[in-house]
Amino acid sequence: MTLLEEKLPAAPPRPASPSRGSVTLRDLGLGIRFAAAGGREGWIRTLLTAVGVGLGVALLLLASSVPHLLDARNAREQARSENRASAYSETNAPKSDSSVLLVNTTTEYHDRTVAGFLMRADGSTPVLPPGIDRIPAPDTMVVSPALRELLDEPGNELLRERLPYEITGTIRDAGLRSPGELLYYAGSDTLTPANGGHRIGGYGDDRQGEPLPPLLIVLVIMVCVVLLAPVAIFIATAVRFGGDRRDRRLAALRLVGADIRTTRRIAAGEALFGALLGLLFGLAFFLVGRQFVGAVEIWDVSAFPADLAPDLRLASLIAVAVPLTAVLVTLVAMRSVVIEPLGVVRRGRERGRRLWWRLPVPLAGLAVLALWGRVEEYAPVNPFPITAGAVLVLFGLALLLPWLVEACVNRLRGGPVPWQLATRRLQLSSGAASRAVSGVTVAVAGAIALQMLFASMNADFNRMTGADPSRAQFAGYSEDVTGEAATSAIEQFRATKGVEVVIGSVEAYASKPGDYAEDEVEPTTSLTVGTCETLRELARIGACEDGDTFVVHPPGDKDMSAWVDETARKGEEVEIGYGNKVMRWTLPADSPTVQGREDPMGETHYGIMATTGAIDAGKVPGATITTQIRVDHSVPDVAEHVRNTAARIDPGMRFVTIESVERNRQYASIQTGLQVGASAVLLLIALSMLVSQLEQLRERRRLLSVLVAFGTRRATLGWSVLWQTAVPVVLGLAVAVAGGLGLGAMLVHLIEKDVSDWWLFWPMAGVGGALILLVTLLSLPPLWRMMRPDGLRTE
Amino acid sequence: MIPEGSLLAAHDLRKTYGSTPALDGASFSVHPGEVVAVMGPSGSGKSTLLHCLAGIITPDSGTITYAGRELSAMSDAERSALRRSDFGFVFQFGQLVPELTCVENVALPLRLNGVKRKAAERTALEWMERLEVDDLGTKRPGEVSGGQGQRVAVARALAASPKVIFADEPTGALDSLNGERVMELLTEAARSANVAVVLVTHEARVAAYSDRDVTVRDGRARDMEHAV
Repeated sequence: MTLLEEKLPAAPPRPASPSRGSVTLRDLGLGIRFAAAGGREGWIRTLLTAVGVGLGVALLLLASSVPHLLDARNAREQARSENRASAYSETNAPKSDSSVLLVNTTTEYHDRTVAGFLMRADGSTPVLPPGIDRIPAPDTMVVSPALRELLDEPGNELLRERLPYEITGTIRDAGLRSPGELLYYAGSDTLTPANGGHRIGGYGDDRQGEPLPPLLIVLVIMVCVVLLAPVAIFIATAVRFGGDRRDRRLAALRLVGADIRTTRRIAAGEALFGALLGLLFGLAFFLVGRQFVGAVEIWDVSAFPADLAPDLRLASLIAVAVPLTAVLVTLVAMRSVVIEPLGVVRRGRERGRRLWWRLPVPLAGLAVLALWGRVEEYAPVNPFPITAGAVLVLFGLALLLPWLVEACVNRLRGGPVPWQLATRRLQLSSGAASRAVSGVTVAVAGAIALQMLFASMNADFNRMTGADPSRAQFAGYSEDVTGEAATSAIEQFRATKGVEVVIGSVEAYASKPGDYAEDEVEPTTSLTVGTCETLRELARIGACEDGDTFVVHPPGDKDMSAWVDETARKGEEVEIGYGNKVMRWTLPADSPTVQGREDPMGETHYGIMATTGAIDAGKVPGATITTQIRVDHSVPDVAEHVRNTAARIDPGMRFVTIESVERNRQYASIQTGLQVGASAVLLLIALSMLVSQLEQLRERRRLLSVLVAFGTRRATLGWSVLWQTAVPVVLGLAVAVAGGLGLGAMLVHLIEKDVSDWWLFWPMAGVGGALILLVTLLSLPPLWRMMRPDGLRTE
Repeated sequence: MIPEGSLLAAHDLRKTYGSTPALDGASFSVHPGEVVAVMGPSGSGKSTLLHCLAGIITPDSGTITYAGRELSAMSDAERSALRRSDFGFVFQFGQLVPELTCVENVALPLRLNGVKRKAAERTALEWMERLEVDDLGTKRPGEVSGGQGQRVAVARALAASPKVIFADEPTGALDSLNGERVMELLTEAARSANVAVVLVTHEARVAAYSDRDVTVRDGRARDMEHAV
């Protein structure tokens, strides 16, 4: 029997025409199978997509956890605050078996805040802040884990000197705002209301926090949009990783009879699998990363793992939106690709990208903002038009970029070999480059707009204190101390290592003695006692000798000057102190009248000023010490030496660093949030660009080997990689600068402010430039590896 | 040890990939203007020999001498420079740079040698004319047929006036008609320009265009006409 005569197996009967739905499901399933069982190459591509999508999903889950994070921090902070009755009443809580005396001894160490309290129980069942089981015994303290670690580290002797208490326990998480918080509670047996102790009757503050002002709400909305828009673009980019290889596989399917629609559905199935795997990866990254979040502290921000719990509604939205985006992006991308059966993939790009439908998107965003986005200072903010407008502008910029890149690179001709290789590559396929860069464009445009918004609001939230840090860098205040203690404190500051000048004065109330009716205001001014050197810093005093006294008028304020003169009657007595603690003293008749001047803190002093020879400062009752200290910054750790002296004099002393600008805390925390978020987003974008770059290099491995065979220099290919990254990034940055300035100007206009600085885009443009270099540098080692002749062995 | 008058000669080359020996004492030589076919079955070490001769990879032992200079004593940069100036290459699938036009591909070796773009492209067009593909100048490799692409690749190999052309299965991806035309053009152009050709092939039909055959088997080269 010949082969022709042999009976061949019959083909199985064809099934009846399947329904459209089942065909779609079959094709999607086929795509999933290709993605899941596509061999090593297929898996690499799927993994790249999944890791990319996973990183984006992890960031989105992180963002969706922010509301819970803030709530949890706020709840813990409120739980450890004194309750309303004691914290905001004029007098202390009544003494009882549960009341506690405490004084806030918060300090700063190497620019970090070390929060602390000295405590003393009044009875046997004292109220306790969360996280501790008992009031520490005298001269012992319980500390947060971060503070314990800091104290254990070598090189922190100065902090140990400042907190000379034995550590007897650790504050539990419930008592901490965040894992990185430095906090201690120390016990005392000498604390009394007389030496600064404040009596409280309980913990737990149930008042609502201060609501955000409308301007800050706009800022928060913009920060969210600016940080999340690039993440969305990144996810859309990640689902297209390895697209070229997939297209070739689909071409093979066309050969065996798959029609164009089938190939698109199969491609959608592949993308769907990558996105679903990405969701799982993202969840895994998030859950694993969450365990380490406590150990990470960026710009003083850290969180407990349990605080990072995504909002259920937002998490559900992510779970639905990400796979849907993956499928839509793939289907849209496939429209510009013609897949033919003979293994040939041709880009259907003869007609080029069109501007007419791209340009209206950002313009529509600006229109939405202009028409419905206006913000009034005292009216509630409607977040939707602002969000929609900003999103349209930013995504519109991402749409404009591919058109611009194509239009520009098509005009590039000639140049050296690396330039020619790069521009020709871009001409052949500018889409991949544009996609990789669109994230940078959106992030930079958003950041520029935000910077402009921040700058225009600067004056509202950053107050010029009027202080002059060149005259003194630190100031300390202790109230209601004896004059003796006050003079001793000043001397101790003078003796501290690195201190150059101490403007130390003892201040007390000075009033005109006499009997006053209830509705009569007792003429009162202040008495300031110090050396001639100190007094010259507080008033325009010419000749001065120990024993001199002065009547000091506030400059340019006649009414207040007259009020000072009512009390400071030359040759007459004044009463110093208040309540029961008073003394009488006669103001010498020859006291000259001088003008006051601003001290380094920016405060104007007036009243009576006396040198230490004229009045014994040690005997002044009810005194306040004010010390303003100038230090020699060349002395190592000079600030810590001064703070240690302050803590030794009085742990409850209010001791501050003199700054010329005071920042609003909410404003500052939004700025910090932006810095943290922008860093994460830019890193993600750099990663995305790197993956795209490596993917392109992998695709060209054999070609690189051939170029090596020709004797092509490494530098030639290195430069071509640089140009290939730089050209789209420079164009992307141009779009970002133009779009960012436009969006920023519109937002500034909406909050009825003026653009304060049009050149704010430079730093962000610089960051974009640094990204190019970073990605290029990171691409070079794999490029060098691929420039080996091994690629030729398959010939 | 080095045959008299030879331009490129190798002696006792050994090369292993992991534990697999690719060359095991192979020797070889080619004279100026001579076309030598290196034949042998798949996996015999033909391509490895070609890559060693071209200075693309370095043998584990043995010597390679080109125009009196020892290749293995040269640095990577020196060997790269030699490949740019004195060697040309043709591979099985052409391996043209897909984003460059055909004329830019042919001009590429000249440009890598520092020749200005216009001068390089002028020379490239002359070679393309000679290889009968001058009408493809502005087309990209993806837009031309396999035979045309391979002729462009031959023009590229010749453009920088090399002394030796290394051709690794240059007709392997072509039909017989196109393959023969490519071989005719390659050998004619090489002979007229006094360029030596090292031609790796396993097809006797292609090897027929050579002046001499060398067979590689189990990593050893055997000259069919001369004792090397």
